[in-house]
Amino acid sequence: MENCEQSSPRAREEEEDEAKRGGGEGGGEEDEKIIQFLDSMDSYLTLMDSLSSTLRQGWLELASARHSMGSSRISSALLSHKVQSAATTMQVAESNDKSVTELQTHFTLSKWAYLREGKYSGEAEAGGFQNKSSGSQLRHRGPNNFAEGCKESYSTINGSPIASDGNIQRERSKSLSVFGTLVPPKLRAAQVSFETALDSIVELANMRSMVLSSLSQLQQEMESSS
Amino acid sequence: MANGRSGAWLRRLLGGPCPFPYPGSRVVAAPLAFGYTPDNKEDTVVGFLLAGVGNVDLRRKRNYLIVDSKTTVKAIEDAFKDFTTREDIAIVLINQYIANMIRYRVDSYNQPVPAILEIPSKDHPYDPTQDSVLSRVRYLFSAESIASSRY
Repeated sequence: MENCEQSSPRAREEEEDEAKRGGGEGGGEEDEKIIQFLDSMDSYLTLMDSLSSTLRQGWLELASARHSMGSSRISSALLSHKVQSAATTMQVAESNDKSVTELQTHFTLSKWAYLREGKYSGEAEAGGFQNKSSGSQLRHRGPNNFAEGCKESYSTINGSPIASDGNIQRERSKSLSVFGTLVPPKLRAAQVSFETALDSIVELANMRSMVLSSLSQLQQEMESSS
Repeated sequence: MANGRSGAWLRRLLGGPCPFPYPGSRVVAAPLAFGYTPDNKEDTVVGFLLAGVGNVDLRRKRNYLIVDSKTTVKAIEDAFKDFTTREDIAIVLINQYIANMIRYRVDSYNQPVPAILEIPSKDHPYDPTQDSVLSRVRYLFSAESIASSRY
């Protein structure tokens, strides 16, 4: 009996040593996933700080514009309720690669890329466009009336609609015209600030997808090791 | 922690001091919802609409919701459900103050698209401890700490 009791701790130690040796390589991969997860978390918080700063600047500029134009000149009461398509849209790519356990999405912003009937490399579907590539589907999230559209020439880069500078300025002016023909420079500056905020938002969305994907991988690791 | 940067984010996650002062105003999301303030209303809605994200479809349905003092929680829930089930929406921005009103809905949402992002308002700065994404992370760490304490 005494011999058995003395050997069992040794056996346990040997088993632990074997586990450490065998888990050395697996531990490296796990550390890499943890580092990736922590980095994505840090990026997420940094981007959120940046977005807060940009929004604050935009609010200040809007307040300045309201101060010069008057409170009633800049309010939601002036917003148009007519049928209109968003000039700034998003493209969504989802990874269908089976080797990736967690679905990751990638967002791409198309600023002032007012989609009208023109040249596209993808096929049109109800509610958006799809550009099927190997292992991923590129969907364009936009209003349904995109597919109907007007007749204005347009160009694309890799399926992403782009607008010429003239179109961009026209769309910007169209957004500003809701508040009058002549608008103060502060209102234009606010528009630019919120456009910058949109860039941060898209990065945030992509980082969120990465965080959730890394989190899911870590959870699976923990469940498999326990 | 694995690297120095992770310590900084962990402090923020656990409710460290916010480095940025927030003068206070309102809350916006896009499809937009924002909170009520007596002055300077709707700045964030107006701002994002200036950036060109506003959309009104053929049924006169807008891709934003303006929340004021008369807006009920049910209306916010219905709007959230509508925006997260629409095919033509990729990202839902919701002010964190508004998200707290329907926190159970926001936290239980786990679809990749549309992505839900909680943004600050002038009145209510961003609080990382309330963010739904970071709440899941905190839960993971708390579960891990519980598991490690058993050994």
